[in-house]
Amino acid sequence: MKKKYFYSHIVDTSSLSLELSGMDLTSIERLHLIYLVESNIHKEVLSLILSELNLSDQKKFLTHLASENHDEVWELLNDKIDGVEEKIKRTIEDLKKELHRDIKDIKN
Amino acid sequence: MTKSHYKNLSDRWKARHQDLTRKLWSKHKESLGWLSNNYRQLISGSLGGLMILTGQISNTLPSLPIAATQSTVPSLDKKTFLISDLTHILPEEIRPLESTEEQGACDILSRTYGIKVVPELDGKRLNRDYGFIGAEQHLTRYPGDNLSSHFDSNENSQLYWQQGMAPGLGAWSYFAESRDALTQEDIDREKYYIAVPTFLSKDFNRNFAEYRNFYKYRKMLVVNPNNGRAIIADIADSGPAEWTGKHLGGSPEVMHYLERFDGALKGPVLYFFVDDPNDKIKLGPIMPI
Repeated sequence: MKKKYFYSHIVDTSSLSLELSGMDLTSIERLHLIYLVESNIHKEVLSLILSELNLSDQKKFLTHLASENHDEVWELLNDKIDGVEEKIKRTIEDLKKELHRDIKDIKN
Repeated sequence: MTKSHYKNLSDRWKARHQDLTRKLWSKHKESLGWLSNNYRQLISGSLGGLMILTGQISNTLPSLPIAATQSTVPSLDKKTFLISDLTHILPEEIRPLESTEEQGACDILSRTYGIKVVPELDGKRLNRDYGFIGAEQHLTRYPGDNLSSHFDSNENSQLYWQQGMAPGLGAWSYFAESRDALTQEDIDREKYYIAVPTFLSKDFNRNFAEYRNFYKYRKMLVVNPNNGRAIIADIADSGPAEWTGKHLGGSPEVMHYLERFDGALKGPVLYFFVDDPNDKIKLGPIMPI
């Protein structure tokens, strides 16, 4: 089965899911919040990548992404951005920290 | 407690997502606009492609299977084009629009929704038509109306109870003389109301009665340019004060539909008069044609 996002294999949101599962939420509410986590991650990753590419490569990237050609996405990114996988991981980890902080805030 | 935790988190994360979307479009409008204009030829209708572009995120869990979700493509598609088109017109900072920007936005919105929207009607215009929207409370519709009598379903009560009732009446007093006299039109006028600073209109004080009558329940199209959601609202109150940093206010139902929030999470909307001389256009959410 095709993965949902081209970066699905390097993102792990289980710590957030776990945190949410410990809260007084219905299962629908928890799933909706996880969906919002994924949406935010997706936009952060897009923002990171587009900022690192020139216009011509941005168009290539968006075309591969929209067509869900994950292999071609990675081929382009590895060719054009140094340490792209590490940068994506770091971006996601930074965002996860912020989202954990949000959870902590509203619990207090 | 459940509701409060869930609502706080979902509001915060939805607002965050919209802010990210706005910045993304602002910074990369050339490539995203290019994809928006060419994606049909490139991708032959992939929903994944559309989701890249649109700022739309659902208010509830997207649990539909893919086959069912495909039916939302035309609507998403048009919203995506709307977001793309507006990105090319609107300034990066939230400020009053210049006349060419105003006209451009009205042209796009009139075309998208199949209605005529204008920044000026009968020689009257508000102080601005692009600004931050803040959250208002429910208005008392008739003498004795309160939170217990206000909602027509348990679902609405759960969604909108906590916003509470405004301590005073709207700018035009009650919507109806009594509960028995309350019509569906009155209910919709309260449900989908906005508050705008009518008092900042040019010549407002010199022609008070004329302006008061003009603005009473005047229909406006209110659009969140970051997710393409739009609603036909009516003016039923005056405000907010300039010092609040907000330029208009929306009822709890308007804010919920537009996915706009108050305080530090506040975001901008476009708002223009709806030219509807025969009163044909209904209040409430409106979809692209």
